Amino acid sequence: MDADLQAHIAFYLTGKRHSPNLLAIDGLKLQPALFAGYRDLTRLRYDFPLVLVKEGPAAVEPLSGLIDAILDKVARGDDGERIRKHVLRLEQEIRTRVAKGTSGTFSTLWDAAAPALAKDNKLMAESLSRARANLKVDGDVIDCDASLPYHLLGHAWAITQTQRAKKFAKDINRLVQKLSDIIKADFVNSDAGKSAENLRASFGNGPMDSFDFAAMSRILVKASAKKKPAKSRQKRVQNLLAVLQSQRFFPTSSATAEAPYSFAFDSCNDALKAYRERLPKAIELARAIAMAELEVRGEYSEVKHDALFESFGQNGLDEAELALLPDYLVRINATSLSGAEQSKLNEILAIDLPIKVVVQTDDVIEESPVGHLAFALRSRQLASMAMGINDVFVLQSPAASLYQLREQIQRGLDYTGPALFSVFSGATKTSGGLPPYLIGAAALESRVFPAFTFDPSAGRDWASRFCLATNPQAEEDWPLREFAYEDEKNQAVAQQLPFTLIDFVACDTRYSKHFSLIPRTHWNDTLVPVETALAQPGRGSLDSVPCLTMVDGEDRLQKVIVDEKLIREARRCRSMWNSLQELGGIHNSHAEKLLASERLRWEEKLAAASASAAKPAAEPVASVAAPVAAAEAAPVEPEAERSPDEAYIETARCSTCNECVQFNNKMFAYDGNQQAYIADVNAGTYAQLVEAAENCQVSIIHPGKPRNPNEPGLEELIKRAELFA
Amino acid sequence: MKSSATDCLLDLYDEQHELEDYQSGVPRWCTGCGDNAILTAVQRLCRDEALRPEKTVFVSGIGCSSRFPHYMKTYGFHGIHGRAFPVAEGVKMARPDLTVFVNTGDGDCCSIGAAHWIHAIRYNMNLTVFLHDNRIYGLTKKQASPTSPIGTKSNTTPRGSYLDALNPLSVTLGVANASFVAQAVDWIPESLFEIVKAAYHHKGMSFVRVLQRCPEWLPNSFEPWMQDPDRIQLLHHENSLQLSAGLSKVYKNQLQHDPLDMNRAREIASSEDVIPVGILYQNRDIPRYEETRQTGVLRTTETIRKGFDAELDKYTV
Ligand SMILES: Cc1ncc(C[n+]2csc(CCOP(=O)(O)OP(=O)(O)O)c2C)c(N)n1
Ligand code: SF4
Ligand code: SF4
Ligand SMILES: [Mg+2]
Repeated sequence: MDADLQAHIAFYLTGKRHSPNLLAIDGLKLQPALFAGYRDLTRLRYDFPLVLVKEGPAAVEPLSGLIDAILDKVARGDDGERIRKHVLRLEQEIRTRVAKGTSGTFSTLWDAAAPALAKDNKLMAESLSRARANLKVDGDVIDCDASLPYHLLGHAWAITQTQRAKKFAKDINRLVQKLSDIIKADFVNSDAGKSAENLRASFGNGPMDSFDFAAMSRILVKASAKKKPAKSRQKRVQNLLAVLQSQRFFPTSSATAEAPYSFAFDSCNDALKAYRERLPKAIELARAIAMAELEVRGEYSEVKHDALFESFGQNGLDEAELALLPDYLVRINATSLSGAEQSKLNEILAIDLPIKVVVQTDDVIEESPVGHLAFALRSRQLASMAMGINDVFVLQSPAASLYQLREQIQRGLDYTGPALFSVFSGATKTSGGLPPYLIGAAALESRVFPAFTFDPSAGRDWASRFCLATNPQAEEDWPLREFAYEDEKNQAVAQQLPFTLIDFVACDTRYSKHFSLIPRTHWNDTLVPVETALAQPGRGSLDSVPCLTMVDGEDRLQKVIVDEKLIREARRCRSMWNSLQELGGIHNSHAEKLLASERLRWEEKLAAASASAAKPAAEPVASVAAPVAAAEAAPVEPEAERSPDEAYIETARCSTCNECVQFNNKMFAYDGNQQAYIADVNAGTYAQLVEAAENCQVSIIHPGKPRNPNEPGLEELIKRAELFA
Repeated sequence: MKSSATDCLLDLYDEQHELEDYQSGVPRWCTGCGDNAILTAVQRLCRDEALRPEKTVFVSGIGCSSRFPHYMKTYGFHGIHGRAFPVAEGVKMARPDLTVFVNTGDGDCCSIGAAHWIHAIRYNMNLTVFLHDNRIYGLTKKQASPTSPIGTKSNTTPRGSYLDALNPLSVTLGVANASFVAQAVDWIPESLFEIVKAAYHHKGMSFVRVLQRCPEWLPNSFEPWMQDPDRIQLLHHENSLQLSAGLSKVYKNQLQHDPLDMNRAREIASSEDVIPVGILYQNRDIPRYEETRQTGVLRTTETIRKGFDAELDKYTV
């Protein structure tokens, strides 16, 4: 075996460098080849920074989107191109400032950046001031940094709660007013309300000497209903008002009310404790709202409703009742998920509380405490555990993709049960100064931290609930990207490169010992791409080593070999991704097995059919199509069997004209629908029956045969009755 | 929104009503008068839909038919001749939570009240309107009305009326914002009830012309149609009414008609030989005036007083 290969394989198996031709990569500033185009993010127009919109239809907008909206309005006409150029220049300036850590709102950042840019440039100043006049949507500008998950989800949550508060305030104001009206009306109807004194007061302070309020009072007292309003109702209404006006779940305009509760927490324990403490108050409020609705509609009945409301909330509150109240928000860092806090989190998720939990992770490849490489993937476990509970809304994503997932975030916030947002910030300390956006995107790309949502409200099956769509090329094990470069002979080369866990780990300084740079003079065919090694099930024959293409600080291509531990980790990562794919309906193994067996069966059938077709007098395979079933006839209502002798009315056709029932109200009567039937055929004569039939304008009375053979004039009556047989 | 367990329990306890709960007094209509059939259909509707009597209002003008509110044990307003619509509109505007019905006669609606009728259609407020069309002034003892067929002999037209009758269906269909136009006859109770029900469920002004017999003054007016079921044409459609087997058996003349087809509706409205029965036109997307003008502002005593004061202050000297 060649000496180089020997040394490479030794490194591959042991991670030890036994040759001067294997170089450590520390300090070389190597990056995965695919990063080459992203060295300076501030020169790119992409989703970040974002603006957390104060008021507007969307809670969050990319800076570039807001700039585009402004350009749509101002960059028109002859100088449109010039304005566009200037405003985009400003956008870049704001992006750079924000990336360097400047904070502020869109408008303050604009106002700080614009003068410097336009100092000696009148035209630029003019462009920017025209555009500035159209800055209508404002809010804090925030980059993809360590604080993004906290602020973005906090902001979206707060907006959701504000909308809820608005609706709540509207409902409560209405109920309070109507309940107060009830009390007022009771007073106006009371003796005190009708007293001369009160009547005088209610007329204002004009000259009223010529008006006798005492007389008016006497008349009113005499004329109005004597019934006193029920004491129990008055008390109930007062109590309801007291509960509605003293509630602390939402801000009120009432000056006397105590400060509203806070619903945002930094620990699961605190949130859970607050929830428990406030539960009796929440039940009291929900109960008061339900009772007040009945009361103001005048539908509250003590007999029926007292007992019902007595036991209200004994089993807690249900979804619809909880949806009236604010949701809780907990924002924590994964590092604080110690034993106690973890168990509180489990409790929140498991017992279906209206609490939204944001768990932020800053490191997704932390070293396992046991020493060997097994990336702990703590936060990934968190999301799968939560999905296992089945009733929890789960969203997992790197911060870099949160804007793309804004609609899903909103669905999670609107979801009536608990929600878990597990977010990787990308702000890993050991990532060699690469921006968190890039690290986050790389975590997504490499399947180290896939993005997905699990929405229990979307349906009952996985297909409706689980979505992997945010991941690039979700149907592949690893996404493939085109990488273009120039070789030594200055020829353009384009290559499809996968982006794997190994590329991701290569950015992290903690793991540099698992990589070795191979000097260009020692490159040869035994250096095979990492994906070739990953494609093998195990170690395989040791005649080559996996090698990663990277670029250095001067954008020169470099080859770096990798040790076996990383290859194993990458396989593990892939297999986790494959499981997620199955949940997401991609390469579902059950479906694929079924498909294969169906295909086999179909092919066998086909083969059998063609074999028999070859025989000369084969039976026809399928019989001639069955005759088309006769169109289904309209259902005919079964008609009651009636003897021609019986007297009856076609009640359903009776038009309630009163004719027959007034003629003989013993013989004819109305049923529950106020339509006539023969109530008692013996309550009158046959002559009356025949006459009623003749008078019935819709001719639906059938006299049948006479019952009393001795009734006079029968012969003629029977003849007349024949018309109505 | 999902309803809570409490809501479900409350529904469970909801009151059941009987027909008697909506009946009030003994109608003073002549025996055989078609108004009785309309009353029964409406009382059945109230019972089946469990309308709360204290949340239901019948508004009428003047005429035999306009006595209708007296016979309903609900709120009612027996108004002035021709002015049922403005009163009903006022009620609905101030109290959109109430269910408001209008009962009006052919004289009340198409003669003295015609202007209000036209505008009520255009406003399209959520009212259920029954035009009791007996083609005569009944209460005042037989004068020709706008819907009396040409040649009708009456106290005002002893030699027979000279003008062609006005067609209330065509008129209604010709006004902007017409959203529900139907025709029923008092002597087919099943279809009358179905039409009344559809009208009630329509959000907007549902206009139902009911051909109503007046045995007192025009005893044979509808005789030819009553005698020959083929001269009744039942309208049906998957988006409209469906016919029961029982009805289909008696009334074989049936027409499939899409209630959104306005042109066809106008043709059907003008048929003379047959009486079309069913929904001629229904458009659920036409806005309701009371909703369009809804401000969402609570009507508190203070806002009302402020409004009054502002209005009266205009006249201080
Ligand atoms: C302002 C006014 N004009 C005239 C009358 C007289 N009047 C009472 S009822 C009526 C006509 C009623 O006819 P219709 O509306 O068709 O009701 P019907 O009695 O036929 O049901 C007339 C003209 C009146 N009451 N008020
Ligand atoms: S006469 Fe005929 S239509 Fe009138 S109530 Fe009697 S059965 Fe009904
Ligand atoms: S006069 Fe005619 S409309 Fe009036 S109650 Fe009598 S039958 Fe009915
Ligand atoms: Mg009339």
